[in-house]
Amino acid sequence: MAGSEQRKPWRKVLYANEDYPDNYTDASFLEELKKNVNERRVSLTTAIAGAALVSQQLCLIITFCLGYVLLHLAVVGPTAFLGTCCLLGACGYALYTPPLIKLPSHARSVIIFFALGYLLSPVLKTLTESVSTDTIYATTVFTMAVHLVFFDYGVKAFIVSSSLSINASVFGSLCLASRLATPYHAFVLLAWAVHCFVLCPVLLAKLGHPPLITVIIIIICTFMLYQFSPSLVLLFISAVVFINFICPYLFVRWHTYKDNIYGPWDEAVVTS
Amino acid sequence: MASDFFYPNMGGVEAHIFNLSQCLLLKGHKVVVITHSYGDRVGVRYMTNGLKVYYLPVRTFYNQCVLPTMICSLPLVRCILLRERIDIVHGHSAFSALAHEVMAIGGLLGLKTVFTDHSLFGFADTSAIITNKFLEISLANVNHCICVSHIGKENTVLRARVDHWRVSVIPNAVDTSIFVPRPEMRSKDRIIVVVVSRLVYRKGIDLLAQVIADFCLKHPKVDFLVGGSGPKGKLLEEVRTRLCLGERLTLLGTLETAAQVCATLNRGHIFLNTSLTEAYCMAIVEAASCGLQVVSTRVGGITEVLPHDLIYLTEPSVSSVIDGLKRAISDLRCGVAVDPETCHARVKSMYNWHDITRRTSHVYATVTREPTSSLGQHLRNYMKSGVWPFLLVVSLMHLLLVALNWLVPVNVS
Repeated sequence: MAGSEQRKPWRKVLYANEDYPDNYTDASFLEELKKNVNERRVSLTTAIAGAALVSQQLCLIITFCLGYVLLHLAVVGPTAFLGTCCLLGACGYALYTPPLIKLPSHARSVIIFFALGYLLSPVLKTLTESVSTDTIYATTVFTMAVHLVFFDYGVKAFIVSSSLSINASVFGSLCLASRLATPYHAFVLLAWAVHCFVLCPVLLAKLGHPPLITVIIIIICTFMLYQFSPSLVLLFISAVVFINFICPYLFVRWHTYKDNIYGPWDEAVVTS
Repeated sequence: MASDFFYPNMGGVEAHIFNLSQCLLLKGHKVVVITHSYGDRVGVRYMTNGLKVYYLPVRTFYNQCVLPTMICSLPLVRCILLRERIDIVHGHSAFSALAHEVMAIGGLLGLKTVFTDHSLFGFADTSAIITNKFLEISLANVNHCICVSHIGKENTVLRARVDHWRVSVIPNAVDTSIFVPRPEMRSKDRIIVVVVSRLVYRKGIDLLAQVIADFCLKHPKVDFLVGGSGPKGKLLEEVRTRLCLGERLTLLGTLETAAQVCATLNRGHIFLNTSLTEAYCMAIVEAASCGLQVVSTRVGGITEVLPHDLIYLTEPSVSSVIDGLKRAISDLRCGVAVDPETCHARVKSMYNWHDITRRTSHVYATVTREPTSSLGQHLRNYMKSGVWPFLLVVSLMHLLLVALNWLVPVNVS
């Protein structure tokens, strides 16, 4: 380029710059590039607290399954089981709403649920009776996994769906109900499922997921599991360690690999 | 020239290919356009000045594109490239699968390849990541890239990892002999705001609807004229019905030819563009060439296209666009707006196809001087993109070409 001293400074426009070759790259190239604009650093404690919600939900699933095992092996009679269930429900309710303003409407819902559940339990029990036991167990595992994945952990994500989560778990419990001895057993198990998957998460959310409760639930689950199968305890503990410590640790560590590029070519977001 | 997008389709890419080809023909080059079939338009057609167009008998697969099988149309494309004695394959548009396919085949045949990118792409979502990877693979062996704006160059360099010296910035132009101002066609007592755009989300039609709704209520002397069609057309109709705008918001539907677009533009005083992303934006240049005052959102490459006194730039928000319209109207009423003829003359001096063609020819001359890369070099370049299975596809294409050379030998007479 002859006379490069005299030429006009390069401008980022398309109608000037005759003095420059078309493939000229100015020093201002990629000046407006921004990286990781909306980055939100998550501390290790926050990550662990978030992961605790997953293990809490896992514990609820295990508690439910333990209830099924107790009924199935006839360790506990159905009436005694239902009694305990109702007692726990009443305790939870007392924690949930100290002033008893809405008690009549809540009581009516409970009565309707019990009446309908009891009347329909023969149908519910025979619904999946012809399906083989292996399929039933496999389906239950699958639906419980769906429950875990789609559960609303308080994060605004696309896949979160409370209704799908609850429906999956109730379907799983319906499958298990068909393996029990009588329709009355099935009814008790369904009541237990409602306690575990519908009422308990609501109560825990209301209490603000205190870490102490998570620890207590994990200890109870470990103890109960130990009664049935020590090898399952090992599996359970490693799962809890993996979910609660290894995953949050990796999540926080891998933040450094985040490399999001923003620039003027991004689709503008309409601000009203 | 190879692209999925060509006449009878209408749009920026199509116009670019057509005008560039015409100018190259005038300069004595030989130009052949390869595109896919449109309806019963299959085979060879001739357009103005003997521009030869091959409409390949390939069905479209998605979004006006062919399915990039890389091998199915290989014999046909090879035949065309050899028969027409092509030296340079010039692919257009990152979305065009056919362009990438023809460029890959051309590269393997030892021809030089040039690629023009007409669009911008983000980096945030899954589809962008996948498209960018494909583009990176495809551009690994392209001799030179052309982008229509500096923003486009930055974007292409980032997403396809092309060396910056291999990317030239050559803007689009408009045919200023078609887009001439005719101020006598304007309404005398009312102010008309014209919008000519495909009615899709990316063009900011949601924003436009809100602007029209708010603006019409406050300014009874201002009418809107919208040309173009698309999925968001319903939204504008809804605004018209809801606010009983009737005559004040005219929806013209699809505008077929440049002459129609020009006639529409000349009915208005102000041109409004509400795009959310735009690499170059031909529409605002056409409008400026017709002498309209241009109000546009400040996105992508739009800031580079027109000098500050010919455009009112706004942020992509309802209040800012309304503010821009108000500024344009007050300038128009006070008589301080740039005169249509001056505006036309300035656009004419900035953008014309002959200048663009000269600069493109310069790129062609540069790539012709570059050495032809061997198959090994090709494969090494593809390997850099990190998608190793693609090497198998390229190898298969090469083997097919070797087999075809044996079955249908090149007839060099």
